[in-house]
Amino acid sequence: MTQPFRSAAGGRIDRTRLLSFTFDGRSFTGHPGDTLASALLANGVRLVGRSFKLHRPRGIFSAGAEEPNALAELRTGARREPNTRMTTAELYDGMEAASQNRWPSLRFDMLSLNGLIAPLLSAGFYYKTFMWPASFWEKVYEPLIRRSAGLGRAARAPDPDSYDAVHAHCDVLVVGSGAAGLAAARVAGAAGKRVMLCEQDFELGGGLLSASQHEVWREDALAALAAMPEVTLLPRTTVFGYYDHNVVGAVERVADHLATPAAHMPRQRYWTIRAETIVLATGAQERLIAFPDNDRPGIMLASAAETYANRFGVLAGSRALLFANNDAAYASFFALQDAGMAIAGIVDPRAASAGAELARARNITVWADSQVIGTSGSTALTGARVARRGGSGADTLVVADLLCVSGGHNPAVQLASQGRTPLEWSDALAAFVPGSSTLAQHSVGAARGVFGVAAAAADGRGWMGVGGGAVALPADDGAPGGMTPFWEVDVAGSAFVDLQDDVTSDGIRLAHREGYSHIEHAKRYTTHTMGTDQGKTGGLVGAAVLAAARGMRVQDVGLPTFRPFTSPVTWGAIAGPHIGKHFAPTRLTALYDWHVSRGAEFMETGQWLRPAFYPVAADADDWESVLREARAVRKAVGICDVSTLGKIDVQGRDAALFLDRLYTNTFSNLPVGRARYGLMLREDGIVFDDGTTSRLAEDHFFVTTTSTNAGPVMAHMEFYLQTCWAEMDVQLASVTDQWAGMSVAGPQSRATISKIVEGLDLGDAAFPFMAVGEGHIRGCPVRVLRISFSGEQAYEIMTPAGYALAVWTAVLEAGEAFGITPYGLEALGLLRVEKGHVTGAELNGQTTAADVGLGKMVKKRGDFVGRVLSQRPGLTDPERPHLVGLRPVIRGNKLRAGAQLVETGSTESLGWVTSVTRAVELEGWIGLAMLRGGAERHGTRMQAAFPLLDETVEVEIVSPHFVDPENHRVRG
Amino acid sequence: MSVVEPLSPLAGVLVAGRFGATGEDAVGISERRYDLVQVFARAGRSGDVVAAMQTRFGVALPGPGREGRAPMLAALWIQPDAWLLVAPRGPEGELARTAKQACGDAASVVDQTHGRCVIGLSGARAAWVLGKLCRIDLHPRAFGPGQVAVTPVGGLSCIVHQRDDAPSYDLVIFATFARSFVASLRHAAEETGYRID
Repeated sequence: MTQPFRSAAGGRIDRTRLLSFTFDGRSFTGHPGDTLASALLANGVRLVGRSFKLHRPRGIFSAGAEEPNALAELRTGARREPNTRMTTAELYDGMEAASQNRWPSLRFDMLSLNGLIAPLLSAGFYYKTFMWPASFWEKVYEPLIRRSAGLGRAARAPDPDSYDAVHAHCDVLVVGSGAAGLAAARVAGAAGKRVMLCEQDFELGGGLLSASQHEVWREDALAALAAMPEVTLLPRTTVFGYYDHNVVGAVERVADHLATPAAHMPRQRYWTIRAETIVLATGAQERLIAFPDNDRPGIMLASAAETYANRFGVLAGSRALLFANNDAAYASFFALQDAGMAIAGIVDPRAASAGAELARARNITVWADSQVIGTSGSTALTGARVARRGGSGADTLVVADLLCVSGGHNPAVQLASQGRTPLEWSDALAAFVPGSSTLAQHSVGAARGVFGVAAAAADGRGWMGVGGGAVALPADDGAPGGMTPFWEVDVAGSAFVDLQDDVTSDGIRLAHREGYSHIEHAKRYTTHTMGTDQGKTGGLVGAAVLAAARGMRVQDVGLPTFRPFTSPVTWGAIAGPHIGKHFAPTRLTALYDWHVSRGAEFMETGQWLRPAFYPVAADADDWESVLREARAVRKAVGICDVSTLGKIDVQGRDAALFLDRLYTNTFSNLPVGRARYGLMLREDGIVFDDGTTSRLAEDHFFVTTTSTNAGPVMAHMEFYLQTCWAEMDVQLASVTDQWAGMSVAGPQSRATISKIVEGLDLGDAAFPFMAVGEGHIRGCPVRVLRISFSGEQAYEIMTPAGYALAVWTAVLEAGEAFGITPYGLEALGLLRVEKGHVTGAELNGQTTAADVGLGKMVKKRGDFVGRVLSQRPGLTDPERPHLVGLRPVIRGNKLRAGAQLVETGSTESLGWVTSVTRAVELEGWIGLAMLRGGAERHGTRMQAAFPLLDETVEVEIVSPHFVDPENHRVRG
Repeated sequence: MSVVEPLSPLAGVLVAGRFGATGEDAVGISERRYDLVQVFARAGRSGDVVAAMQTRFGVALPGPGREGRAPMLAALWIQPDAWLLVAPRGPEGELARTAKQACGDAASVVDQTHGRCVIGLSGARAAWVLGKLCRIDLHPRAFGPGQVAVTPVGGLSCIVHQRDDAPSYDLVIFATFARSFVASLRHAAEETGYRID
């Protein structure tokens, strides 16, 4: 017989169609409209999981997002997804589900023995047990804990699905689609508002889905909303976070109800919604009662049992007992009776109630002034022990396989609280309700303690203050009656206040005894409310237990701060499309395709992809490519794509003065048509950036920055213009992308470009070192700068990016006779180390101008950013490390960046190696270093020690300028 | 008088065709090649620049968030006292030279024809697709034809210019990010499907 617990009729499932699914390898069937939980219950499956720490058998406890127990792994292989709540997982044909945290099987879980040593696994046990010895943590304890206590397993393979993210704006965001939410959305829509309605369930209606008497009203409301063009209905969409200024985050499960998403369909969509007004119609959540062994499979929230009966046509057991302190739970229980469930009775800690009167009229036994003091059964509930409160009289053993529990109802205030709305205590509900919000935020219906379908709808339609009358109300079937706070049964035993985290009321009291009495401390010490369910069913109960232990009122103890995420969100949805290479945008120069066609090896530098070198078949290894490229520059001519240099166009009457204030050196006396190297400090006197600046006209400069600092330098300039020197007439534009740049370097560089540059005399007299001019190459406009990074005669040619390939190709053709060689970032680095030019490795945010040998660039007169703080004693101390060059005494020895420089026989570090390379101008390796004593140590020997690799290399300290220290070549 | 036709950063990347989901919702993605010139009024000279641009191009320089339109040119507000001139491609550098001549020392003029790349996005679902990359409200009541926003799109600095109520958007981005940007846009448009024209 299939689905033995499915009722004969009723519910919202489509009984005409069968869906097949498996759970732990066993095949079952369900119907469209089922959740995995309802389908399992229909098939009589009670045991669905093991608890996190103690591996106790657990069943389905709720019918919604608050589920603490029933977590499953869905799907297999790369799509395997852990910790899915069975109560929200919409059943689809072919669903493969598996239980979690058990070995070898759910029924025979070896680690359930943990339950026997539960007293040892008390609150704070991680802290107490595993403090020592420290080395045991990594090797023993952590693997053990990870194996024994845990949730599901993540997939190991990359997720094959795609995830989407979208921004949305609306006038009114309604969260929740119960009677209050639908009415609130209708009245807003009718007023012409742009409305978004988010519902976490796959069907709209909230509690109405279990109340068929209101189906006409629900359908009416949905039809009215669907007819409003400015209303967007979003089922399967969980609002998980409420952030400043009415920004909320939500996840829409676009394709989770399909075995695999359709082509081009995202699996989930992450919504960032900016709403003018937010209406929270999030309903209420039933809470548990702490009593011994209140966690057995077959123990379930009363409202959940009603939902399974009314919405899904499933009886969650054969014989039901209710333990409740409130009349609303009686109504749920009566629904079970009406659905044909055998009724064992009702246990109520109250002496008398309206509910009890109604129950007796239905011939239901009511044990008033009584409580459940224990339960029996192993992997399924078999019965409960009932006793009078106060300990008088004998226990009664009641046979039941379903124990419905209700300790009252908490308005779902998580989002309101995240939205900074203070919470207020309601004595009538014994729960927190939202106070008055400082934002455009309204809670309506059960979310603020207004219960009953008609009352909630009336509350929802009234949120705007006007226009509510046009929305009809559902029939009034009364609001539930009273309740008396009741949190815990006062007998010994494992009474859970947090089923997911295995936190008991004793654990809470232990935390208090050990000094973790604040609710936030108790939370961390015990892990109470820290699970994926965020303590929705037991959070307040734990707080009440703590309050009793502290002799305080629960409202004075309060709850831990509500924070996002209110419900679990997959990492896929958070990452969205930003995975792998799409983590950040990639920046390509105009010559990228040429580099690819030339077989370049690329290197990521910030967001840029730059050629590291261009291997050719004859190169034995990478180094040979790099050395070959560098030699070409020293001996003949090379060409390098330097388009990544930051370029800033600076114009205005005060442009020169502006640069004088930003750079340590002076630009106002730079003639038009000349370039000058410039050094920029941070406010604290440390070197920030360097580059060349050309003067194109009296009021027009072309500034270049290092590739790395293009953005920061632009921001630095904007900051000073906008905040400090607003009186200056200066305009800035980033022209990094406008101008492609190529460096043509080597003794044959002038001979090469002279062939092709038109309209510019490149002769030494007319165009000396640091000259700047404009001309054309093959009709393409070019800006030529005679500047050098390599130490050779060199020209930078800038051209509007669309002409880069044409100009580059022209230079290659012109240089062919000289053996022109394209060179990459590695050769560029080699050449600059040989020349002793500093880059990021030396300008590392710790060095001053004097440290790196650029002290002469600091002007004596005139102020500039960083001047004052650069004169602090600590920055002018002659003992500071200074830039030096290094060569291994045995030339063949390899140098390593990061090595420490020590005297022979000493372990005191006097400096460190910043940059190393194999050289082409000299034999073997060379390096740059920062060293105390600096130039005074030239000619001496030291040890370059790299203790991590147990390496020591004897080095000779030399000038950092290995190549042409007098700068003849750049002028030649 | 260039003899070489400038290459787009998207050359060979935007291949015409129909991609992504099938159906009626496809949006159009295309590269739109313009001359692009930034005009910055110098301190205290915005009145002179407004007058000069009116005289020379017949365009009224707009205020924040707006375009100014003339028959052969649009001016987009990009920051206080600065505009981006957008015009059909002409001879290399000519728009910048003309603008500088018109404004003289009242303005700083910077040619960005090669420094920026303009991607067109259009169709009934274009706002939905753009909403995946961009935070601003694109609802017709909030953003319509002739409006301009300077805002991150796909994590990149972008000028969003709505040209008509199709809606059609011009997205002005930094040229070296063009390929990366198009990859993001294609991902965003997978769901609706898209044509590359």
